[in-house]
Amino acid sequence: MKFILPIILAIATVVLIGVAFVASGTVVGKTVGIEAGSAMYGLTPKASTPDQALTNLLVDVKRRNWDQAYGEISNPQVATKQQFIQAWTGSYGSLRTFSALEGFELRPMHITNDAAQMRVRLHWTTPIGPLEDVRDFHLAKVGDIWKTVWSKTDVPNVPSQVIPVTYLRWDLVSAAGDDEWGAKNIDAPHVRIISMNPLDFAEGAVVLGEVVNEDTIPAFVNVTATLVDGSGKEIDEETSFDKIDHILLPKQVTPYRIDFPKVNLKNVKNVRMNVKATLVPASADPVIGVMNQKVDPDYQGKSVLRGDLLNESGQTVNIPHVIASLYDNNGKVIWVADGYVEHSLLPQTAAPFEIEIPKNMVPKVSNFHVVVNQYSMGRN
Amino acid sequence: MEPTEYSERNERTVVSATQPPRRPIPLLAIVLLALMVHGPLLMMQLPSGSFDANFHMFFASHYAHHWFDPWNLKWFGGFSQTTYPPLTHQWIALLSYIVGLKMGYMLVQLIGIMLLPVGVYRFARIWVDDRAASYAAVGCVFLGSLTFLTYQAGQLATVCSAALYLNALPYFYEWMTESSVRSLIKGIAVSLTAAAAHHVTLIFGALLFAVPVLWTALVDAHDERVAGSVGGVISRAAIFAVAVGAGVGLVLMPYWVALIQHPIHQIPIPHDSRANFLLNSTTAINYFLIPYGLLIVALPFIVIRGASSRRLIPLLMGFWVTFIFGLGGTTPLPRWLLGRAYEILTFERFTFWATLLTLPIVGLLAADLIDRFRVKAAVGLALAAVFTFGAAMFWLSENPFRAAFTQINVAPVDAFLNRDGHDAYRYVLLGFGSELARVSIGTTASSVDGDYNSARLLPEMTNYGSAQLTNSKFYGSAGMASLRAMLEHANRYGLKYIFVHDAYYEPLLTFVGWRKIETFDNGAVTVWSKDDVPPAHPIQSDAMPTAFQGVLWGTLPIGVSFLAIILEFLLPNPRRVSGAVRATVRAEHSVA
Repeated sequence: MKFILPIILAIATVVLIGVAFVASGTVVGKTVGIEAGSAMYGLTPKASTPDQALTNLLVDVKRRNWDQAYGEISNPQVATKQQFIQAWTGSYGSLRTFSALEGFELRPMHITNDAAQMRVRLHWTTPIGPLEDVRDFHLAKVGDIWKTVWSKTDVPNVPSQVIPVTYLRWDLVSAAGDDEWGAKNIDAPHVRIISMNPLDFAEGAVVLGEVVNEDTIPAFVNVTATLVDGSGKEIDEETSFDKIDHILLPKQVTPYRIDFPKVNLKNVKNVRMNVKATLVPASADPVIGVMNQKVDPDYQGKSVLRGDLLNESGQTVNIPHVIASLYDNNGKVIWVADGYVEHSLLPQTAAPFEIEIPKNMVPKVSNFHVVVNQYSMGRN
Repeated sequence: MEPTEYSERNERTVVSATQPPRRPIPLLAIVLLALMVHGPLLMMQLPSGSFDANFHMFFASHYAHHWFDPWNLKWFGGFSQTTYPPLTHQWIALLSYIVGLKMGYMLVQLIGIMLLPVGVYRFARIWVDDRAASYAAVGCVFLGSLTFLTYQAGQLATVCSAALYLNALPYFYEWMTESSVRSLIKGIAVSLTAAAAHHVTLIFGALLFAVPVLWTALVDAHDERVAGSVGGVISRAAIFAVAVGAGVGLVLMPYWVALIQHPIHQIPIPHDSRANFLLNSTTAINYFLIPYGLLIVALPFIVIRGASSRRLIPLLMGFWVTFIFGLGGTTPLPRWLLGRAYEILTFERFTFWATLLTLPIVGLLAADLIDRFRVKAAVGLALAAVFTFGAAMFWLSENPFRAAFTQINVAPVDAFLNRDGHDAYRYVLLGFGSELARVSIGTTASSVDGDYNSARLLPEMTNYGSAQLTNSKFYGSAGMASLRAMLEHANRYGLKYIFVHDAYYEPLLTFVGWRKIETFDNGAVTVWSKDDVPPAHPIQSDAMPTAFQGVLWGTLPIGVSFLAIILEFLLPNPRRVSGAVRATVRAEHSVA
């Protein structure tokens, strides 16, 4: 018994560890609270296939093990380690700089004996919610292992220049010691809902439309919708949340969309709309132009509204948010779509944007109107 | 505690003046050692930066103000503190009237730590002689797992409860083998006290500790080393189990009511102790290397030594099962055996229990080594103990889990919430980590967030696989989705103020219509507000305990702890005559 039991316990321990190791597939979830940590030495699977090579790279990117990740590309001469890291972590306070890779799915596109092309759907967690990104990677066989061929990414370089500022700005002087924001003792700006359209969508209902600031002063706007049933009882109340440009300059129009998950419009008799407006300080800067807008299919066959954003101001816009009203032939708002741009907008530069349009809406869309909301560090 | 016992043992074990001392180390000296090692660290309030310390102080703060009303409005818009056994918190609350909350916490922790070597000593004596038991007790003072739980994790209740259980189990053994009514009464009282300190230890720890004791009693009865028969041992074990079960049912009745009324159905929250340590070096260090320290080197010898004696096999098996559980997701066994409970539990406490279960065998090994290598062994063992303790202390400042949350000045946050009627609204902290509880202690305002996962009932939190809103980003998309859901319903909950200590959250707040209104501490903390939020109103909940439950909660748990103390004085242990059991055990070990 002196040695039999220890041997049995040792074997049982090793078997249990082995079962867990095999079952995990060597891919682990995100470590809560920290970014570091790698598999024990020798337990990272050998990159004997393109799938495994790319998996190893992406797991290291996920864990931010940059040394190992950089060592898994076949052509380090095209990018320094710092450039490689920056390609993953973003720059200039863009949405990517706030993001962390949370998961990925691989799909082989083309594989030969010594080269492969893989398509990867990357799942990012960001402050504004989960984002998906699809990228193609090339891999090459180096000796008996596969490595990822890194494509050089160009970081925009803005030349030194002076940009005159001629935008409008509205300042607001508040009473000292007032912890509230916006002006409570001045008449609220005149804001009006110009359209409202309730729809059943997916597993819920949505209420969408447009709001206009008819005043000559800026307004902070929030739209609330309350669904009421036949007996006059409130079913649910939700707000426009981030599906609206909250700050409206004079005469500006913004789309809004209010989501009601798990509510069926059949049970709704009435929709009570409420728009609240508060006078706030605001600025027309940064001016962001929207160009080349068109509805196109993307690489997956989904329809997207794409175009370019041009930052016409002299300051960096860290996170642009694009909101679009889609109209039918009669000029009625049939959908409000939105999307965040993961690259920052440097002064006087353009960046592409893309917003997915639901499949059933595409045939009805005859026109669209895009507004751009933004987050700029230190100015919001 | 039982000096005559040592004398008898010494007379029987000291062989000659040329051999190393074979006397057991006096228990009083070991307790003083624990005081000497941990006392200064606790008086320096080192655990106040641990993960759970503020949570415990927050609960204690509520008891200090509302002893008989466990409904706490400060978190989750209202929650019941009957979801967590109250003993340690109530003791802190009592002490806080004299020394304040923080020092009260430290004193209760110190009492737990000083009870631990007593418990380990008494527990170890079920299997080994006094000398090996005293080495085991010394070892527990320097355990990496104890240091980890006390100073890094802040698991006050786990430590106190384990110490109490270890003290109760020898009574259990004595009752089973000697039919001692005195042991039965004291064993039940101490067991109930342990249960009143921590529920997880009650449910899992009791089983992992008590089964080896029962098994050993059966072995002893079978081998006629004790007076009782096998049938007698089983029947007395059943009586003990039924009595303790009924007592726990009564003492923690409001807890069971709350659990039955609101079983934990929330989406599982990820925890690193459930990771596969082989695939993540950081978690391996945090949950395996640091808690075990140099015990890892001794593991093969522990297993071989444990298997060498029939009486030690139950203890060895108890250790092995607990050890495997402590490995979290490194093996599939915990998931297989625990089912859904696997996703609710955290597993660092199993490692603590595993180290405690191994100590009697470690004590034997230490005695063997000292017998064989004398001073060299003593010095080596001392260095190993100090290294294990030191490594855990070093890790305390070097681990990547805690750096982000230290040194937040929460005073301006409390001052803001407590002035100008701001406490009429609810608030959320973002990026504050465990400081959330410290803010809550100092303010009269209520939050929709909170630092106790099992008490959450708001769907915006339970429907997502994340824990506190303040730590949303660490839970990835699930955490941010939970935060978004809460922000969407800000008006519903009267949520008007958000304090931000991490710029990560600023883009979200900006896009969803919140605006910065105030800045504290050189910009380290910013206050964000939302327009048109109505004042908070009470959230109706069926989880609110009745007044009767409040009275039970305020009297029974603390009452059994007083009863256990009184019984220890009223029913002192009789002077023990060296029995056949330990002589036999020692003889077996000598052969081994």
